[in-house]
Amino acid sequence: METISYLLDGFAVAFQFHNIMFALVGVIIGTAVGVLPGIGPMSGVALLIPVTATLTSGMPTEAAAASSIILLAGVYYGAMYGGSTTSILINTPGESSSVVTALDGYQMAQQGRAGAALSIAAIGSFAAGIISLIGLILLAKPLSDLALQFGPAEYFSLMLLGLCAVSGLAGKSMTKALIMTVVGLMLGTVGIDIVSGIARFTYDQPVLYGGFEFLTIAVGLFALGEVFKTILEEDGSAQSVTKIKRILPTKQDLKDSAMPITRGSLLGFFIGVLPGAGASIASFFSYITEKKLSKNPDSFGKGNIAGVAGPESANNAASGGAMIPLLTLGIPGSGTTAILMGAFIMYNVQPGPLLFDDHPEVAWGLIASMFIGNLILLLLNMPLVKVFAKIIQTPQKYLLPIIIAISFFGVYAVQYTTFDLYLLITCGFLGYILTKHDYPVAPLVLALVLGPMLENNMRRALTISNGDWSIFITQPLSLLFILIAVAWIIVPIILKLIGRKVIVTDEG
Amino acid sequence: MSKTFDKFAGIIFLLISILFIFESLKISGSAYGSSVGPQTFPVILGVVLGLLSIRLLYESFRSKSENGEKETFNYKKFGIIFVSAVMYVLLLEIIGYVLSTLIFLIVAFQTMERGKILSTLIISACFTFGVYLIFVQLLGGALPKFPLF
Repeated sequence: METISYLLDGFAVAFQFHNIMFALVGVIIGTAVGVLPGIGPMSGVALLIPVTATLTSGMPTEAAAASSIILLAGVYYGAMYGGSTTSILINTPGESSSVVTALDGYQMAQQGRAGAALSIAAIGSFAAGIISLIGLILLAKPLSDLALQFGPAEYFSLMLLGLCAVSGLAGKSMTKALIMTVVGLMLGTVGIDIVSGIARFTYDQPVLYGGFEFLTIAVGLFALGEVFKTILEEDGSAQSVTKIKRILPTKQDLKDSAMPITRGSLLGFFIGVLPGAGASIASFFSYITEKKLSKNPDSFGKGNIAGVAGPESANNAASGGAMIPLLTLGIPGSGTTAILMGAFIMYNVQPGPLLFDDHPEVAWGLIASMFIGNLILLLLNMPLVKVFAKIIQTPQKYLLPIIIAISFFGVYAVQYTTFDLYLLITCGFLGYILTKHDYPVAPLVLALVLGPMLENNMRRALTISNGDWSIFITQPLSLLFILIAVAWIIVPIILKLIGRKVIVTDEG
Repeated sequence: MSKTFDKFAGIIFLLISILFIFESLKISGSAYGSSVGPQTFPVILGVVLGLLSIRLLYESFRSKSENGEKETFNYKKFGIIFVSAVMYVLLLEIIGYVLSTLIFLIVAFQTMERGKILSTLIISACFTFGVYLIFVQLLGGALPKFPLF
């Protein structure tokens, strides 16, 4: 019952007028981000961190943290929804988790059922959002209680597990993903060592004492990297957008998609909770499941509504599920949640088991606002689907320079140094080059966020054990995490050796 | 093309790892007598990166180089925007936020597509003054001002 009273307190926070506005703005921007090809949820959230920091600058820290996290989370799940719009209307997924939606969604649009596909995607996303939130509420307390038992050794192994899981599934080559992870960890060691106070790799440069700012690197690698890519590689071809005729789905459509939505939501939620396996994998699995269970699997790929409802629910549920390890354990399982975690840390709010005790306002306020945000998304998107479809036609020539200007403004407003702007440009360039050659940048950002915590826990554990490294394998829970971490790396290699196809995720 | 890049990247990462280990060892040891000091973690990272980059080199030499299809790049467009972005940062604290942003946006818009000067000017002015007014006047933030004001 304690949980319910906390949840009610959370609603009290979320129903404050400005927080409803933040949720509203968040989901609208998120939907736009999802619709615009080229900006994914990761760059959208990264770009908006400085903007929200500015908007909330006058508020007390805790309230500011709650409000900005509400907005940023809104962007995250709004983008998950928005991605489906482009998949259905122009056969170009706005982000990688909507790739499978395009298979049947575009076919439906070709048959004049674009409106039905879009609204089923909205309804599915809403149902999935609610289901994953219920899961979040049920799991939050027990998981964070469990996490409170963890010592430094367990935390170290758990973070190692998170890093291995993300690297094991990101990109085409695991070697490259692991290299990016280690580089991220290395970047995290620059600056003053918080345990001993010794400056590392700073070479007497004052700007480096605080270490590399995570925000600058994330905005550079994701947002600028994508802008540079589009400038270099766009061919200037305009896509034709399918007209939307009827918005509401028929009764038959609703009946056909009820079960796929339920299955997709549950599947997506559990996949989302797993570190590393994100929304793309969830939507892919849901599509396969629907095809297997369907009475006429041949109709998939030709405009079967179940092929839209299932995957769309799954990717939204996965984004809700991905919040669980972040909020309860303090360990992000994906690129986007790593960026959200960076935002938490910027406000001096440490996600993790203590979050629910130390900052109940932030934690429960966020959960409650996700209910509101999902509702707003549904109410907004059904009538406004045509408006959002218009966003696709935003001319790139205006969009790209403005993204550059926003990222410059954002980074400068938070950091106040031109050093960070040069770093931003460099990261943008490197982000483009690295992504182009299949070096995934999401593990790098995740490692940069986790690096200092990983090192601290390692050193604390080793101090407890007097420098005996076996502490990581003699503690049963720690051993378990390490074994799972090793499995994440080894199993895909074995599967590859015996010739099985391994599904990889691009979104990280 | 990708394989050449991988070889090149493998060598760069290997050099970084060697340099990183070398530099980590220079960090003074633990101050309070614990066996793990500030240099332990960086050294481990350096070693792991070294091993991984050797693995990357091995992979890139073993697999046959495939012929990637030719792609066209807008080098000129990118070059102009990249250089003007760097100029933007250089000038930001000298001529102020408003002027530098305005110039950057006009140059960038015109680089993306020539013509339509009027809409270019309107959009860049709206963005620049909008950001400046909301951030500085409404929210009380600080951005570099024009030196004359």
